[in-house]
Amino acid sequence: MVSLTIFRIICTSEALHILPKLFANRRCLSKTSIYATLCKNFINFSSKDTQNNSCFKPVSESTGKHVSSLLRTFSTASEKLNCWNCGHSVEQTPAFFCIFCNFVQPPDEGASYFQIMDCDQTFALDTQRLQKRYLDLQRTLHPDNYTHKTVKEQEFSEYQSALVNKAYRTLLKPLSRGLYMLELKGMHIQEGTDAGADPTFLMELMEINEALDGARSREEVDKIGAATREKLNDLTKRIEASLHKGELQAAKAFLVQMKYFANIEDKQDQ
Amino acid sequence: MSNNTTSSFGRGRCYFKVVDHYENPRNVGSLDKTSKNVGTGLVGAPACGDVMKLQIEVDDQGKIVDARFKTFGCGSAIASSSLVTEWVKGKSIAEAMTIKNTDIAKELCLPPVKLHCSMLAEDAIKAALQDYRVKQQDIEIEAVKASN
Repeated sequence: MVSLTIFRIICTSEALHILPKLFANRRCLSKTSIYATLCKNFINFSSKDTQNNSCFKPVSESTGKHVSSLLRTFSTASEKLNCWNCGHSVEQTPAFFCIFCNFVQPPDEGASYFQIMDCDQTFALDTQRLQKRYLDLQRTLHPDNYTHKTVKEQEFSEYQSALVNKAYRTLLKPLSRGLYMLELKGMHIQEGTDAGADPTFLMELMEINEALDGARSREEVDKIGAATREKLNDLTKRIEASLHKGELQAAKAFLVQMKYFANIEDKQDQ
Repeated sequence: MSNNTTSSFGRGRCYFKVVDHYENPRNVGSLDKTSKNVGTGLVGAPACGDVMKLQIEVDDQGKIVDARFKTFGCGSAIASSSLVTEWVKGKSIAEAMTIKNTDIAKELCLPPVKLHCSMLAEDAIKAALQDYRVKQQDIEIEAVKASN
């Protein structure tokens, strides 16, 4: 989900009527104000308005000044949030609860999984500490604790709890952790065939897969499993070294290899 | 299976196509990749970690007489490669080159999230055809050298 505070849409008059539907997810609106410009007319609607379901109100054409003020305020910097319940400012990132009234807050869109789980943004990670943080968070955030609370609190607890689940699952395993770290740096593994793949490597993968497929005894399977695990450990070290040095392309290549071997490791349980 | 059941899936026949290829895959196996009549395509998809090997055997008239595949990946990837081996048998090299991932996806009714599997199968057959072509060129070069 994109983290924005001010989002500017330029659309035709025909598209205007569908704008409210585009932002049906109120959650992402809690932090955004939306300005739409249509030729000379400026239509301004805020998150409050959309929550009330009213579409937009046209602003007068005054607006040489209005334009420049719109342009000035366009920013993706973090806005200071206020607690939806008591109005006090919510300073910390990520914010789970208001420190004044202790009401559960909506998830912080700008927080990374590392911030949510209170871990340094490094590939090397203490998984025991991660697990403890996960349990501590779910103890207070899980929707089971909110069955007698207001609808809004239940909703926020659901979102927070789901997000914590996602963050935990992503950071727990080296493969997903590494891929997430690349994502944070704007790097993705594209869908589709890897045209530059090393044929020798693909051949090796084929042979291991075929051996696993053809294995007739538990011992054979375990042997292949052990070799695969060794390969994965070796790749983990290489990924850590590459990410530490900021060598993203190298890390990406190792993560791709890891993906293939992780699939093999999953198969041996079958 | 009753009509009610198939219609409840919406596209009943399509649903069973992928399952059918997965449970009864056609042409699983290997051909001798050292043979001069065999082209081998070996492709991988990094995002999902699938690997696919597709081989064709071509006769002296340039017609594909046999095709085998081995795919390690999801059901859609297996079905896509299985389908391609069915399709190329009896076709010429030129005809086989025209196989598109969109045809494969349409035949198997692949959902959007699985379209890359059909792409992988298209790349595999193209790689096998290319490998065969390169082999034939090498043979020609050798023949020219030998006659000089």
